Amino acid sequence: MSVPRTALRTGIQLGLRTTLGAQSAKLSSHAIPRASIARQTLQARKAFHTTAPRPYKTIQEAKAKSKTGPFSWKAGLLFVLAGGGLIAYFRYEKQRLERQRIRDMSKGIGKPKVGGSFNLIDQDGKPFTEKDLLGKFSLVYFGFTHCPDICPEELDKMAEMIDMVKKDVGNVLLPVFITCDPARDTPDVNKQYLKEFHPDIIGLTGEYDEIKRTCKAYRVYFSTPPHVKPGQDYLVDHSIYFYLMDPEGDFVEAIGRNFTPKQAADLIESHIKDWTKPLRKD
Amino acid sequence: MGLFSSDKPAEPSTPQPPNRSQRALCWEARDLYFGCLDKNNIIDPLKNEEEALKACGKESKRYEKDCAASWVKYFKQRRVMEKKKEEMINDLKKENAEKL
Repeated sequence: MSVPRTALRTGIQLGLRTTLGAQSAKLSSHAIPRASIARQTLQARKAFHTTAPRPYKTIQEAKAKSKTGPFSWKAGLLFVLAGGGLIAYFRYEKQRLERQRIRDMSKGIGKPKVGGSFNLIDQDGKPFTEKDLLGKFSLVYFGFTHCPDICPEELDKMAEMIDMVKKDVGNVLLPVFITCDPARDTPDVNKQYLKEFHPDIIGLTGEYDEIKRTCKAYRVYFSTPPHVKPGQDYLVDHSIYFYLMDPEGDFVEAIGRNFTPKQAADLIESHIKDWTKPLRKD
Repeated sequence: MGLFSSDKPAEPSTPQPPNRSQRALCWEARDLYFGCLDKNNIIDPLKNEEEALKACGKESKRYEKDCAASWVKYFKQRRVMEKKKEEMINDLKKENAEKL
């Protein structure tokens, strides 16, 4: 820090002298035009400006400035803000590209296809096809109403996800429950069952073969015990995933049991925010 | 005669699944029963049926009353599976296995 300090000292002396010189010139002769005095001052200042940007008002100020050099708290703050901003931006972009990569995996030719056409019946007994899912994101879950513990847990989680997503990005997610047990899960059974979880969930059932076809399209495995008699009590084995589908009916991502509702909602929301095409909000 | 046990005559109409409160009731009975098994060091109530019945007859009765037969069996099987898993993890820990 010794170099700038000496430079400053000479700078102050120089500045003092220049001002004095200019004043004496002004006093001694009125003939000298003002412009030339100004030019002289300017020239003198210019010579001085090469070492420091401006003369300091007080010695204390100069000393304070010389101690920190070019590093003021403002510069530091700017540095931290700009650096932090860049890091945050790169992180965000990295995550976005990663999500895009996952999405693109299921789009296009030669890619695994999850989902597809189906012809089922909703909880009010009305027909429901894959076309009814279009325009919104959909979260599809396969289960059965006589499920002992996993499905109810997962459906409770689903209800939490629905509320979080709805609160943050609006009514753009269609939650769907498709039964793997059409023999027992009639539209009315689905209706009574699902209303205990969330009023938004659409419950689908249908002919056994149609359910089987739908499960196959979604790559869902399920097995009903053979030769079930009517009224018999049995369990259905099935895979447990939430399938996030985009508004064009393409598979986006599978969400497993290891996700907490908050993590799942965050993931769904980021996919929704990435979506640039039209989105139904009714 | 249970709430929704399968010893009822087969119903021609579709059987109703247990609702939220019925599920909670079943889970509570299950936890009580399993707690009793734990106290008596019985891991598999299907294998050690007599022993389990002797030690936790009351709890078992309530469990079977409050849960559907398929659930009763399912939870018992899952209990055995989970105990085995626990045991395996403990064994691995004893051998100082590194967690991945």
